[in-house]
Amino acid sequence: MAGLGRLITGRARPGGPLTTTGLVVLAGLVVVLAFGQQYAGSVLVLAFTYAIVTTGMAVQIGFSQQIAFSQSVFMGLGAYGAALLNTHLNLPTLAAAPIVMVGSGLLALLLGSVVTRASGLALAVATIMLPLIATGYVSSAGYLGGSVGMPLAGNLWQANSPDLIAAGNGVITVIALGLVVFVASRILNSDVGLELYALGVDERTAASMGISTPRRKLELFVLGSMFASLGGAVYAGTQLFVPATLVGSAAELSLLIMLFVGGRRSIIGAVVGALAVEYVSGASEWVSVNILLVEGALITVVLLVDPEGLAGIAATLRAGLRAGLQARRQGSGGLAEVPGVREPAGAAAAGAVGAAGAAGAAAGAGRLRVSDWEAVAPGAGDVPLLECSGVSKDYGGLHVLDAVSLTLPARGRYGLCGPNGAGKSTLLGVIGGTVSPSAGRVLLSGTDVTGLQPQQRFYLGMSRTFQAVHLITGRTVLDNVAVSCLRSQRSSIAAGIARSRLDEARERAAAALDYLGMRGLAGREVSSLTLESQRMVEFARAIAPRPRLLLLDEPAAGLSEPQRDRLSGVLHALGEVTCVLLVEHDLGLVAQITERIFVLDYGRLVFQGSPAEFNDSAVVNSLLIGQ
Amino acid sequence: MMKFGNLVIAGIVTGSIYAVFAVCVAVWYRVSNILNLAVGDFAMTGALGVDYLSRVENWPLPLSILATLAAVAAFGYCYDRVVLSLAQDRLRRHEGIVVTFFFTFALSFFIEGIAQILFGTNVHAAPALWPGNSLSLGGGLNIERAGILVLACAVISGGMFALYIRYTLSGKAIEASGENYLGARIVGIDTRRYRRSIFVITAVLAGIFGIVESPITGYTYISGAVISLTGFIAAAYGGFRNPARALLAGLAIGVLEALLGGYVSAEYGDTVMYAILAALVLARPRAMGFESAVSN
Amino acid sequence: MSEPGGTALGLTGMSVSYGNLVAVHDATFSIATGESVAIVGPNGNGKSSLLMGIVGLARRRGEVTIFGAPAPAGDVMWTARRGLTLVPERRQLYPNLSAADNVVLGCYSWTRSARKARRSDAYGRALDLFPDLRSHLRQAAGTLSGGQQQMVAIARGLAADPKILAVDEPCLGLAEAVSKRVYEALALVHEAGTTLIVVEEAPKRALLICDRRVEVRNGVVRAGAAPPAAGPAPSADGGGRS
Repeated sequence: MAGLGRLITGRARPGGPLTTTGLVVLAGLVVVLAFGQQYAGSVLVLAFTYAIVTTGMAVQIGFSQQIAFSQSVFMGLGAYGAALLNTHLNLPTLAAAPIVMVGSGLLALLLGSVVTRASGLALAVATIMLPLIATGYVSSAGYLGGSVGMPLAGNLWQANSPDLIAAGNGVITVIALGLVVFVASRILNSDVGLELYALGVDERTAASMGISTPRRKLELFVLGSMFASLGGAVYAGTQLFVPATLVGSAAELSLLIMLFVGGRRSIIGAVVGALAVEYVSGASEWVSVNILLVEGALITVVLLVDPEGLAGIAATLRAGLRAGLQARRQGSGGLAEVPGVREPAGAAAAGAVGAAGAAGAAAGAGRLRVSDWEAVAPGAGDVPLLECSGVSKDYGGLHVLDAVSLTLPARGRYGLCGPNGAGKSTLLGVIGGTVSPSAGRVLLSGTDVTGLQPQQRFYLGMSRTFQAVHLITGRTVLDNVAVSCLRSQRSSIAAGIARSRLDEARERAAAALDYLGMRGLAGREVSSLTLESQRMVEFARAIAPRPRLLLLDEPAAGLSEPQRDRLSGVLHALGEVTCVLLVEHDLGLVAQITERIFVLDYGRLVFQGSPAEFNDSAVVNSLLIGQ
Repeated sequence: MMKFGNLVIAGIVTGSIYAVFAVCVAVWYRVSNILNLAVGDFAMTGALGVDYLSRVENWPLPLSILATLAAVAAFGYCYDRVVLSLAQDRLRRHEGIVVTFFFTFALSFFIEGIAQILFGTNVHAAPALWPGNSLSLGGGLNIERAGILVLACAVISGGMFALYIRYTLSGKAIEASGENYLGARIVGIDTRRYRRSIFVITAVLAGIFGIVESPITGYTYISGAVISLTGFIAAAYGGFRNPARALLAGLAIGVLEALLGGYVSAEYGDTVMYAILAALVLARPRAMGFESAVSN
Repeated sequence: MSEPGGTALGLTGMSVSYGNLVAVHDATFSIATGESVAIVGPNGNGKSSLLMGIVGLARRRGEVTIFGAPAPAGDVMWTARRGLTLVPERRQLYPNLSAADNVVLGCYSWTRSARKARRSDAYGRALDLFPDLRSHLRQAAGTLSGGQQQMVAIARGLAADPKILAVDEPCLGLAEAVSKRVYEALALVHEAGTTLIVVEEAPKRALLICDRRVEVRNGVVRAGAAPPAAGPAPSADGGGRS
């Protein structure tokens, strides 16, 4: 229990925000103070300046499949802003920094609300124009120094001797970097961070788990821009010159290269990447003249070795070392898989293969109570929980669904069957919100949800699994299950920085794992599990938010016989408290589990009835059981 | 009227280059799922290579052209064979964005770096293949001779490609590879080999255009970047999957660029164009050819 | 055509995997020249993976021989040239190419000349088998109906002039009448001497034209012996649909 507790609060895990920040700040201070005004010192200060920007990029774009090319523009905004304030208003650069950050934030809010409505290639194309537009404007703007750039007189740190100035600049840069690293780490370690990871795996699954993509994208855009402008202000204050190329595509590409070389999903990676690239660029005369060649070769080689960059290489090495050490310690054979999933408490099912020694099915610890569920689900009443009315779906002339109508009450176990291509998964998609029907409506407890996004249906009590497994590799089973418990609708990134709700989500996840007897797996990293166990983790994730309607797409696929029996037991118990609709090919399992079966054929509902009726039906027999 | 006409003509000339590059990017993306962001740099290499060999090393012009194009082809072949094959084979599908963008970004940098070493940083151009002043088309309309060559190259390469696709079996095989990867492999098509061929042909074609067009504008070692970018943007407007739309988009962008430069301002013309393009993408992504453009 | 009686396709200990997931375990069986075999079993159990592994589109271990020669792993072209062609699940046509182009690409394994392909016997025979397609040949394949698309897919497979034709779920999403026509065409193909392999989830129709059945369940292959009594297994109500 203590172990689980530690997992939940994450306290035992190294790399928490304070540790990361502490490391970076300490190392940074040592370095800048040691090198001072020497050439190496100034290179390092420049590198740290870029690291401020790349850290923001790691959070903003590192996780998703969507790239926005906006950082150099905001860095330039910060730099030029600081320069202008310094030159015209005699504002010390140090004071100008927060001002330009706020200004950038507001501009990003405006720009971002338009830009982030696009995604994928549209987003890339739209944002790739930004550096081009910025360069064009800046080159012709006299007051900004045109295509050369703008000098400024105010150092970050005002002092008398150049040595003190250099040292002061360096310290301030490191502190700014530390601030940014701290905030970024807080985010990544919070519930918002878990969302980002989930979004990076698969957006559709994330949406079905309630994660609200559009809002997050805007928040991330604003955050990234603020960090970038801080970097720009620091740049201006330490370099005393803002080159016009700072806003351009080449600068943007350099930043991206730094991020990807270091490791785009890692904060330390972002910092190391900036350091590596800057250091290499300054390493020798030849290199700095031929910087293009070197950067091109560098990123090609690094990405070929590991797409997660240096951070990925480091992680692989560490995992390899750990596996090697563990093998030596255990002697015979590697990690033994915790044998299967245990009996859920209170369910009647055959053959438990138990994990020895775990706390027993004891003390109602895993008992599923209707009252727990009721907390989310309002009273049943007379209105059916789910009603599909005349649902049709056409794909270019092909009728995948043809006027399907069915209703489900608030509790029970229901099956959806049909030959391959009959439209089962499509119907599930229409109910879940990932497929929009060509005609017909979907009502949840009387409310028309046909136009609602999957996220919104999630918050109305719908939850589902998909055929393909989409778990976040590199994170524990507990965290993966917690994805559906995040209540992201009610949180913002700012709140996430202040107080992480991750612990609460993890507690809810732990309860679900407890119920399924999977507590022993909670701390395991998901890619070390068998496919069977991974599917059970997805199942746990789907039931953790205590949904009113649970949609399961072929939950038994890939499960062994004993696993199927256990699943059957769990579903029996769930049917007491909620409504379960499963798509399944295994007719034996369907007849065993469900109390009512719907059969689709060429998109049309051709049968609905009890399992007994199902077995006797002529239609069903000729359709499905050709033996 | 004359000004408008001449601008449109100039726009069609540059637009035809964008169009050809956009088609190359789109066709290759359909088959490989990688964006070729180094197209413009191959053009630059063609131009600067020929200039160097013929002017500095004093090789006869035809030999310079052949040698440069051969070098470009060889380099493209090796790069695909070594780097891109490794990238696609080893990296799992969900690393898509890395493979799609970054490898050819990096290639672009790499080529520019080599060009900087070999050719220096000054503006150069390949010798004009058809020396002389611009020709008059009557009514005050002019066209540069090199511009005629560019159009001729575009029409010839485009025409040859269209014929190839329509009438030969291997042409249909390329189309098939872009339409349905699995379906193509089923009938025995070696999609990897076609992918490589398209990459090499793109490189050589880009080199040819660079050679032909450079007398008009002059190239430096970083000129390729803007051309690659415009080719990418034009291909994007074709949704990356529709070569015909990419072609039209390229022409349109060329003409738009010329008109803006002539009527709005020489300095801000490009900036305004990018702003317009960005606004178009954001306002009407689907109309502009982006399939899965909007979130859900 | 090859002499009847030899072994057309032989599998020894073949397993197919996608990453960590093993879809087919240790399959061993053989199909004689001129036979027709139905591969049946519930979906998601490995039937399609079995075919993909044989043809070379999925990673496999173990041995596959086609007419006695061992097939190199992953070489679809070799398999096609040796005489085995697959009509894949869900057809996998080229939607924007015409129906005729789709079929003619089936000849890719034995020629690169479009003209030779169009004039070949194999191409002609493939189209003759489906007279319904004649008026739709220039139409884009993506705009055809499901049944027509299936016919195009089979025609494409036949254009390669295969000695062994493997068809995966020929009636996926097709109406009853159309499925009947598809199976009639397959029966004709078999009668002409081609060894036939049909993968079906609901084997009723397949068993009408197949001599033998091979069951795949949870990735494990159970090959039945060639039974003397062919014909449909009796169903509860003694008939139902044809």
